[in-house]
Amino acid sequence: MLYLSQAIGRPVRDQQGEPIGSVADLIVAIGDKYPPVTGIVVKNNGREIFLHWNSVSALDAAGATLGTSAIDITKFHQRPNEIRLKRDLMDRQIVDIDGRKVVRVNDLRLDEVEGSLHLVAVDVGASGLLRRLGIEGPWRTIARGLHRDVPERYIDWEDVDPVERTIASVKLRVPHKGLAELHPADLATIIDQLSRSDRVGVIAALNDEAAADAIGEMEPEAQVDILEDLEPERAADILEEMDPDEAADLVADLSDESREEILGLMEKDEAEEVQELMEYDEDTAGGIMTTEFVAVPKSLTAAQTIDRLRELEPKAETIYYVYVTDSDGRLAGVLSLRDLIVSKPNVVISKFMFDEPVAVQTGASTAEVTEVVARYNLLAVPVVDGEGHLEGIVTVDDAIDTLLPQPTKRRLPRLFSRSGQADR
Amino acid sequence: MRKPVFALSPRAANRVRLAAILSVLGPGLVSGFADNDAGGITTYSVAGAQFGYDLLWVLLVSQIVLFFTQEVGARLGLATGQGLAGLVRERYGVRWAAFMITAMLIANVGSIVAEFAGCGAAVTLMGFQSWIGALIAAVVVVVLLTRGSYKWVQYIFVAVGIGVSLAYFVSAVMAHPDWGRTANSLVIPRLSSLPGYWVAVVATVGTTITPWGQAFIQSYVADKRLGPEDLVGERIDVGFGALLTNLIAAFILVACAAAVFSAHTQIDTNSPGAVGQIAGALTPLAGSAATALFAIGLLAASFLGLGVVPLTSAYAACEAFGWETGVDWRMREAPAFYGLMIFFVAFAAIFILIVPAGSLVQVMLTAQMVNCILLPFVLVFVMRLSSDRTLMGPLVSGRFLLIVGWLGTALLVVLSATLLVTSIV
Repeated sequence: MLYLSQAIGRPVRDQQGEPIGSVADLIVAIGDKYPPVTGIVVKNNGREIFLHWNSVSALDAAGATLGTSAIDITKFHQRPNEIRLKRDLMDRQIVDIDGRKVVRVNDLRLDEVEGSLHLVAVDVGASGLLRRLGIEGPWRTIARGLHRDVPERYIDWEDVDPVERTIASVKLRVPHKGLAELHPADLATIIDQLSRSDRVGVIAALNDEAAADAIGEMEPEAQVDILEDLEPERAADILEEMDPDEAADLVADLSDESREEILGLMEKDEAEEVQELMEYDEDTAGGIMTTEFVAVPKSLTAAQTIDRLRELEPKAETIYYVYVTDSDGRLAGVLSLRDLIVSKPNVVISKFMFDEPVAVQTGASTAEVTEVVARYNLLAVPVVDGEGHLEGIVTVDDAIDTLLPQPTKRRLPRLFSRSGQADR
Repeated sequence: MRKPVFALSPRAANRVRLAAILSVLGPGLVSGFADNDAGGITTYSVAGAQFGYDLLWVLLVSQIVLFFTQEVGARLGLATGQGLAGLVRERYGVRWAAFMITAMLIANVGSIVAEFAGCGAAVTLMGFQSWIGALIAAVVVVVLLTRGSYKWVQYIFVAVGIGVSLAYFVSAVMAHPDWGRTANSLVIPRLSSLPGYWVAVVATVGTTITPWGQAFIQSYVADKRLGPEDLVGERIDVGFGALLTNLIAAFILVACAAAVFSAHTQIDTNSPGAVGQIAGALTPLAGSAATALFAIGLLAASFLGLGVVPLTSAYAACEAFGWETGVDWRMREAPAFYGLMIFFVAFAAIFILIVPAGSLVQVMLTAQMVNCILLPFVLVFVMRLSSDRTLMGPLVSGRFLLIVGWLGTALLVVLSATLLVTSIV
């Protein structure tokens, strides 16, 4: 076991034991579970020399010993999958996937695995900090005297996600895999703690869907900041993945310039959907509804409807209610998922649907919508236009959002307070 | 991954937004406004009461240096999106970060002690014991930390701040100061060999340009997610903040010069009567109510400082060491952050209990001097970081800004050295 801080600055000796410089940095190749050390940077008279790991016969807290006499003193060129531990990782911020927070690297722990040295863990505990300050020994003595432990905390390299710009440049090998597996709300909280450029770096590495989910969890101002910092093409792709009602709210907040550019880059029908939603007043049912719902013609049978659900499910916001429309697209009835499943497969749905569905008009106020949702205990309420055409649905979560205190018009600065979604 | 229908973050409901207090104004304005805390008001008052108009030039120089240091701090925040302490750690390693934070924390503890002393002095003027002031100050910090309702607090702060400024402005005018002398002293430095002269100079500079102000402006800009495109706006904000701060300071100083200094009253900063004497600056305006008015203003100014300095200090330290920071966290989740806060409050409170009530003014002055002496240790990092092209990109300090910045830093070192030499000789 070796800590990076123990190796840095130690002498490098050649085969004969003659000093040729000091350890300036270690290089690891990213990609494996535990990245192997592939090279060492030696500082010699203010110049940095890169040595391949093959030429190093030993490295420990006493320094490095070389196994070859021939030294390749070519200047170090970073390969795309390589990072320098001290320069690129030490003291930087990383995401602790397990703990779901952003922490700073105090030290890096290297271990011998199958005969070669690998980066295995990041030291984020007090002991690492004390070691770097050069007072770990005395501190431990005092702590022992007081019968106290020095807190140690390591994060397995597997559970680490580096977010720094310098490392993001090698993002091919930093796929932010761990981050993508977090719950969008947790991911949003983490992204909220990062600086602006780091945020864009993280978003860049996520797939469109994960990025859309995470952005959907953020406060409106943060959403706008991020979207405007992204490449317009990417922003358009992410918007397509978001629920249209969320996307419409977000697009409405963008600057005129970005809005036009991004909408132009979105797929045509998605962009139209968003634009249509934007036309509704924010405080009406139309303004908070989503157009992603399940509607089927009333001539279908139960079995056909279930098949249709299987096709549509990935897009719809809720499938607990299936709306039934007549040939003109007017709302004719509603089915619950339970109705569908317990009915015989061959029965036509119009036979057993609830044919007096509760609905609200697109122009209904959000207060009215919330009241309807609450009174009838609905998970979603359909929204219809003046002729009764089904335009969208308002889900219960969106209805609840309207009850929460509205953020003040101007963005509140958040120094001292990382209130991820508090403004919503 | 689907969003669960009933997903509401349990914490989202009652989060605390401390920064709401500062939301009305820009970072530069807030930072400038908070410079006129208890230490600030007292220092400017003593400077005017002891040396008349002579120290006005110090205010002008301070204002120029304040503008440039705040501008650099804001620019660092704009370019990197990071706070000062975290940036120092990334560029220069743990040891330098620990060094800078230590210097900053010592200065900040001094500032917090000064706010407590301000509360103490204010309540003694009202006829209470000074420990009541310390108690009030401690309660204020705890309330600020645990209660989130800053909406009304900020308005009270701003109102009281403006009220105090107006009071001094009117009082200064009513005292019929020597305006020619005022203008003259503003641009022509008058040196003096009187005892206490350099103490007053260093304290005046130290209360205007502060280590915490430097950390504050950068973190604030970064946390507001402002970027390089906001450079012009930030410069205006910072410039306006520096101007406003020093305008208020100048009126305090002139009011004291006209009402107290001209009356040939000797001020002994170590005497119990010192607070009452500098309160006399408000006599032309308030007559016999001057003391009460000053006490209220001083109390409000202390609260202003208490609302910003302890948080900024704990924030900077935790940022560099990667600890949870901010009032969103519960006590158990962010032990270092709350631990530091408890330390600040406890230290300042005990200090005020030990110090005799008569020395409170001297305590406030000394805290400002400590700020000035430790400031170069922070500014050196700020200046070096701001000239790092890889870090700053297009926002890197140009030659002119670098020269001015380093000159300002050098000036502070010379000032501190002069103070040390003159106090020994």
